[in-house]
Amino acid sequence: MISIEEQQTLLLNVSRRLKNKVIVYAVGGTAMMFSGLKESTLDIDLVFENEKDREEFKKAAIELGYREMDAVKVYGIRNNAPEMLKLNDERFDLFVNEVIDFVFSENMKKRAVNMHQFEDKLLLKIADPHDLILMKCATDRQKDADDARRITEKTKIDWDVIVEEAENQVKLGKEKAVFDLGCFLEKLRNELKVNVPQEVIDRLFRIVKKQAEEKIR
Amino acid sequence: MKTEDLIEKLKGIQTVESVKDSLKVSRNKAVYYIYRLRKQGYVKTKRVSGGKRVYSISFENRMKGTSYYEIINENSPVKITTPSIYKIYGKKPTLEETLVFAVKTGSLRTVLAALALFRKISNWSRLYQLAKQNRIERQIGALYDLARKIMKTRRMTEKFRSSALPKKNYSFVYFIPGLKSRDFEEIENTWKIYLPFNKKDLRDYL
Repeated sequence: MISIEEQQTLLLNVSRRLKNKVIVYAVGGTAMMFSGLKESTLDIDLVFENEKDREEFKKAAIELGYREMDAVKVYGIRNNAPEMLKLNDERFDLFVNEVIDFVFSENMKKRAVNMHQFEDKLLLKIADPHDLILMKCATDRQKDADDARRITEKTKIDWDVIVEEAENQVKLGKEKAVFDLGCFLEKLRNELKVNVPQEVIDRLFRIVKKQAEEKIR
Repeated sequence: MKTEDLIEKLKGIQTVESVKDSLKVSRNKAVYYIYRLRKQGYVKTKRVSGGKRVYSISFENRMKGTSYYEIINENSPVKITTPSIYKIYGKKPTLEETLVFAVKTGSLRTVLAALALFRKISNWSRLYQLAKQNRIERQIGALYDLARKIMKTRRMTEKFRSSALPKKNYSFVYFIPGLKSRDFEEIENTWKIYLPFNKKDLRDYL
């Protein structure tokens, strides 16, 4: 596990080894830590805008002693699995533009208004909590459901933002996005007693129904 | 009580009394809670008149680092709240960088507060470099002329001025879309920049 302070020191050390300026988006546990929603995380999840930036970051992390590891061991065989680097208990999961089943869309980038700059070279933008919930449904792990619950408890959620982004994901080619979100929110509501309005879930499944009907046509 | 719940309940400006009230605990317990949060880095303390201690409690305090907004507030009579978080680690941003950041926010209040930075800005070549990288040389030039009208500043170098002044074929640019000045047209014409301020907007500086 890596704490807030350790994470900052690590990113500062990476920044010092970068040759060019790199902009990167923090998602998952890292974003939650920077938003005050979590104390520590196992993996530092980052989304890059292009392969060149990811390579540059990777090179800097490798200089710090990190070693590449096989993403299949953690994510199985899935599309858009990250490149992974590991040192002791700490792990970097490095994505480019897509996080497993989601596109890190332009709207998500616009919503990432909180930023942390490490010296001159590394600018870390923090994904918005709404988008964190959405991305949590890409993986089917209990800890993701717990994280999503924590986000809903600590943040004022505008459910329209989440539903609209899920619809946007469908437009971007992620056909299952609304369906997955619907199932995830239903699980949060029924099993973890999270206060997800039933009308939000109904709205999502109405969209799914429409998607299915359009397929028949 | 868990730390995160404490922060949630106490975030913002507090005194021992306000902590006591919001948590409905004894004074001793309130002091203890503040002590606990301070040890973990969540509390900034300021002594105000009368020796009273005021605490600023937030998660961001633990993140250390500096923010451009903090630098502006340290140097300006116009205080701003932070609309979003922008923290910098491993270095203290210079006033030149802070001014460029303020202009780039496009926020009226932030730019207004940042005018005060001209009092201390002295590295004009660095400022020009940064302004050029961000294509805001004219905006900086116009703000400098505006600042000179209301406060003592260090003098801009001739090199900055001549390099930043607009060429004849340049067209006017809005600082903030739709906003023009009634009182500083002369500066606007010099820099071909529409300024978003009138005299009365600058009263905090007078």
